Amino acid sequence: MPLGAKRWPGFAFAATLIASLHAAPPSAQQAPNPRALLDQYCVTCHNEKAKTAGLMLDKLDVANVAPNAATWEKVVRKLRVGAMPPQGMPRPDRATMDSLAASIETSLDRAAAVAPNPGRPVLHRLNRTEYANAIRDLLALDVDPSAMLPTDDASFGFDNIASVLGVSPALLERYLLASAKISRLAVGDPKTDPITDTYRVRSDVTQNEHIEGLPFGTRGGVLIHHNFPLDGEYVIKVKLLKSTVDLLFGNNAQDQLLEIALNGERVQTLSINPKVQAPPPAPAADKSQKPKEGFDPAAATKLSMSQPKDNLEARVHVTAGPQTVTVAFVQRSYGPAQDLMQPLERSTFDPSDPKGLPHVLSVAISGPFNPSGSGDTPSRRKIFVCHPANPNEELPCAKKIISTLAREAYRRPASDTDLETLLSFYQTARNKDGFEAGIEMALRRILSDPQFVYRFERDPSSTPPDTSYRVSDLELASRLSFFLWSSIPDDELLDVAAQGKLHDHAVLEHQVRRMLADPRAESLVSNFADQWLYLRNLRGVNPDLESFPNFDDNLRQAFKRETELFFASIIQEDRSVIDLLDANYTFVNERLAKHYGIPNIYGSQFRRVSWPDDSPRRGLLGQGSILAVTSIATRTSPVQRGKWLLENVLGTPPNPPPANVPPLKENKSGDKQLSVRQRMEAHRASPACSGCHKVLDPLGFALENFDAVGQWRTVSESGDKIDASGVLADGTKVSGVADLRAALLSRPNVFAGTLTEKLLTYALGRGLEFYDMPAVRSVTLQAARDNYRFSSLILGIVESTPFQMRRSQEPDSAPATSVADIRRPNQQ
Amino acid sequence: MMISKKHLPRRTFLRGVVGGAIALPLLDSMIPALTAATKTAATPKTRLGFMYVPHGAVMDKWTPATEGAGFEFTPILKPLEPFRNQLLVVTGLANKAAESQGDGGGDHARSAPSYLSGIHPLRTEGEDVRAGTTIDQIYAQKMGQDTPLPSLELGTEDTGLVGVCDVGYSCAYMNSIAWRTPTQPLPMEINPRVVFERLFGDGSTAADRLARKQEDRSILDSITGEVAHLQTGLGTRDRGKISDYLDNIREIERRIQMAEKRASLNVQVPETPIGVPDSFDEHAKLMYELQVLAFQAEITRVSTFMIARDLSQRTFPQIGVPEPHHSVSHHGNNPAMIAKLEKINVYHASLFAYFLQRLRATPDGDGNLLDHSMIMYGSSMSNPNEHNHFPLPLLVAGGACGKLQGDRHLKFPERTPMSNLLLGLLEKAGIEKGSLGDSTGMLTI
Repeated sequence: MPLGAKRWPGFAFAATLIASLHAAPPSAQQAPNPRALLDQYCVTCHNEKAKTAGLMLDKLDVANVAPNAATWEKVVRKLRVGAMPPQGMPRPDRATMDSLAASIETSLDRAAAVAPNPGRPVLHRLNRTEYANAIRDLLALDVDPSAMLPTDDASFGFDNIASVLGVSPALLERYLLASAKISRLAVGDPKTDPITDTYRVRSDVTQNEHIEGLPFGTRGGVLIHHNFPLDGEYVIKVKLLKSTVDLLFGNNAQDQLLEIALNGERVQTLSINPKVQAPPPAPAADKSQKPKEGFDPAAATKLSMSQPKDNLEARVHVTAGPQTVTVAFVQRSYGPAQDLMQPLERSTFDPSDPKGLPHVLSVAISGPFNPSGSGDTPSRRKIFVCHPANPNEELPCAKKIISTLAREAYRRPASDTDLETLLSFYQTARNKDGFEAGIEMALRRILSDPQFVYRFERDPSSTPPDTSYRVSDLELASRLSFFLWSSIPDDELLDVAAQGKLHDHAVLEHQVRRMLADPRAESLVSNFADQWLYLRNLRGVNPDLESFPNFDDNLRQAFKRETELFFASIIQEDRSVIDLLDANYTFVNERLAKHYGIPNIYGSQFRRVSWPDDSPRRGLLGQGSILAVTSIATRTSPVQRGKWLLENVLGTPPNPPPANVPPLKENKSGDKQLSVRQRMEAHRASPACSGCHKVLDPLGFALENFDAVGQWRTVSESGDKIDASGVLADGTKVSGVADLRAALLSRPNVFAGTLTEKLLTYALGRGLEFYDMPAVRSVTLQAARDNYRFSSLILGIVESTPFQMRRSQEPDSAPATSVADIRRPNQQ
Repeated sequence: MMISKKHLPRRTFLRGVVGGAIALPLLDSMIPALTAATKTAATPKTRLGFMYVPHGAVMDKWTPATEGAGFEFTPILKPLEPFRNQLLVVTGLANKAAESQGDGGGDHARSAPSYLSGIHPLRTEGEDVRAGTTIDQIYAQKMGQDTPLPSLELGTEDTGLVGVCDVGYSCAYMNSIAWRTPTQPLPMEINPRVVFERLFGDGSTAADRLARKQEDRSILDSITGEVAHLQTGLGTRDRGKISDYLDNIREIERRIQMAEKRASLNVQVPETPIGVPDSFDEHAKLMYELQVLAFQAEITRVSTFMIARDLSQRTFPQIGVPEPHHSVSHHGNNPAMIAKLEKINVYHASLFAYFLQRLRATPDGDGNLLDHSMIMYGSSMSNPNEHNHFPLPLLVAGGACGKLQGDRHLKFPERTPMSNLLLGLLEKAGIEKGSLGDSTGMLTI
């Protein structure tokens, strides 16, 4: 039988999603006899003779689940999502199924408590986000990882999965080059060559208004954080956007001034068309032709047009270190472009629009020229913890500097062997080019070392094979910092770990709370939530210009910012994670407020606003970011929205569609325009499709009042009234986003359980296995007692078996069953 | 090295990004004139290129009506007509390794890794990502050992997006068509600036570059010495990871040696391009230019290029296709959507024609680079609406140093494995190999 055909019906039940995945076990006295229930409902198929799906429940001992925990986890998962027994066969009621599942879960959890299996993570290479953060924390230096290292492959929804973070010659080359460049920049190598870095502005950025972070009184432009390697002169070249006819965009706007500022201070103002000069009268080519009489519009146009420059340049003296460069236009009123009646938000909708205002296209910073020294940079302050006053002090100082750096970089106290190696590199370069060159070389050696690039965890020699043991305090410190900060531990964390105190419950909790309050915990937003919620995909969202002419990069950035600020508020205020679905507030600036229809919000800066109780926009489901990444360029995609909800909110990802299934028909011109819903219904008529889509579609359709860029609407693309009603897989009737939200809120444990699985996957850097499920259940249950506060989930994970422990090497390792297998019924 | 001593000023890469049609002499200021070094090279070695487009093609607008010479160019192949004499269209082949074989959905995930290996990839998201060594790497291991880079891998699409990989398969499968070993996919670099640094190294003068290479080498030596110590207390898998690392270090050391040999020649490195351009047109052409540059200077002799990744959401408003490529590819037999897919196919072919034109315009030894190249172009899918992998749209361009005859449409028996063609290409490039993946013999082309 073809696999696809076998899987489809299974899925339909699998995604009886509003079913409780993580329900609390009912009281013990009500629990029915599991053996009797299995015999009554399961063994008809799953017995020694029939061996349906290779499962023989008549032979398995439900009183002793431990030896077959992987199988029992599958059984539980299928019961919890209502996949088994299949429809059409005798099925017990929901409560009985739940209690059977709960009773097996309890046995599994007890067995796990007696003999925990934490799994064995593979040697973990830092991914490029972690690498860049480690550089930031080690050297007080911000680098752009995407320009240094290749993209990492993702699995299980995250790009920090140890088993797929491989090495290749190209990667190793990049590491070597990165360590050379970074060391040079951090130390401030006086031999640094002048280079040019070009910053490009996306061509869909609207630059008619003030942009957040730029000086007040300016419009448009760009804000750049640039590392200036040395004190010296730098050339800042600005290019302006050109129109399609190779003229400056906004050619007609006169007297536009460009302001270049450094850390907020204006350093230069440049006029893009310094002087309007009447062109010299053109010599008549043909003397016989008489000059035209009266007003000549062509000649008048010529006269008013100066020759604006699309290329401006300033040479400025800058001190070394990270500085903020802003390039923007001085705000002046210009009627044609700033008319209140302007039709579109997006200023570059028509690239040949004569009424436009000039836009910055790119800024190139070249230098250093005439360098005058390494300056006083945050990196130098971090690195040079001592300064030798004479040659005799050099070696002791070098030792101090190098051992400090090596300790942080290797995340453990530096050994004598480490120092010996590093000092030999120091010495060679020191003898050639002096003390600082020596430090630079030692630093380069540190950054190239596998001990920096990999997170080593070693079985203690005393541990017998295939045994669970607690990881060392130093290993725990790294697990913690890479989970909460996507970076290396700081001094305090290393100290506590080196003193052997970190495994102490109170100390650990104190550290976790300290780390969550630290600005570095921002990585839980920019790295974890960015991937979990697909915010990362916003950069690839390009709605069709014709259908969504207002969409520009300003809105794209605002979408991202809103959700990031929102998620950050949950962490910082230690709110219940359930608020992610139902918070009565969000963050907007003027652009986004207009988009959402909130009046009286002015200015580019973001601020917190409250939603009324009945607002459809409460929580994540009303945010433009989520609604846009789950749409396609020309319209909404209820299927993608349904899939997003299944994967990220409900924790039951659908199987991929089988081959041969055509997706939706697009409307043809001439035909009657069908709504997305009508086209979906046509699609669902096929039995091969209906199994899945009757689960996916109602979820997605409930969000149909939000268009492909998240604007509220009552009429669809095709002109029909929006119908957001549907019946969820568990029978709940919904008529829109409010009902959907209420349905999700009625089972908070489902959402909390999904988030726990996502966080645990991210924390461990591996896919979850059957033996992790007791931990998932326990974390979710503990968190429920604390109203699902964010910190309770984090603390639960940090204290869980797979996070605290590790399994020593097996004599012969066999691949384990992954949750993906458990989760998808009837796959095998 | 044979890069010109004459250093032209950098051209702008920023021109006209807004509209569709763009004047694009992209890297011409960077294309080095050849020195005597290459011109006197006894026999030029064939440069191999493998171009990959996802989501198949509109096959009846691809496949020529007649076989053999003088076939009529179909709408999709039309942009390639100027290269008729160095073009071979191959039809009737199948990539069976990309088919389900009992693994269910996931045709997109299987398409890229099987394209150049003929190996059915293992369905997994975790520990044991496994496909096969690809033909470009087989060539690189034999013919790429005397060039600074054994091979070059390029792409255009951000692989860092989430939730856009086939369920059940690691994203690693969809992100690369080049596998150095069955477990080591190579990253496809999308940033022209990074590619440029790989080609030319770090430093502004020859002495600088040499000094930095030597420092790198001493660092690598020292790390190699440390590895035994690092492996203590590690399990089998982790020790394997460290040996991989070591193996890669040796490869880098070899490259440094190669570069050192060349560094004695005075190299004037052209100026670095800026990062990823806004416009796909500009980006794709720049990536093609970089391959021309790498081939011309013999920095490498084999390249792979993913013009897009499977499930690509790229839209093409500049050619009247505002919908994403993947959505369009599931055209549901709607003629309007098929026409749009055809437009994308034609557009991709015209970008490829740009590459061929640049190769042909670049002198190499006694001819031009196209004479000395063999470039395969095609897809691992046929009709994307059905996710099928037969009959594939494939063609081969270039003279392969006189070994490949153009102006032909060769039709092979239905479902001949595509890996048979790969063996045929290898043979033309001077490597005899008995089998590759699911091959059943070698195609004589």
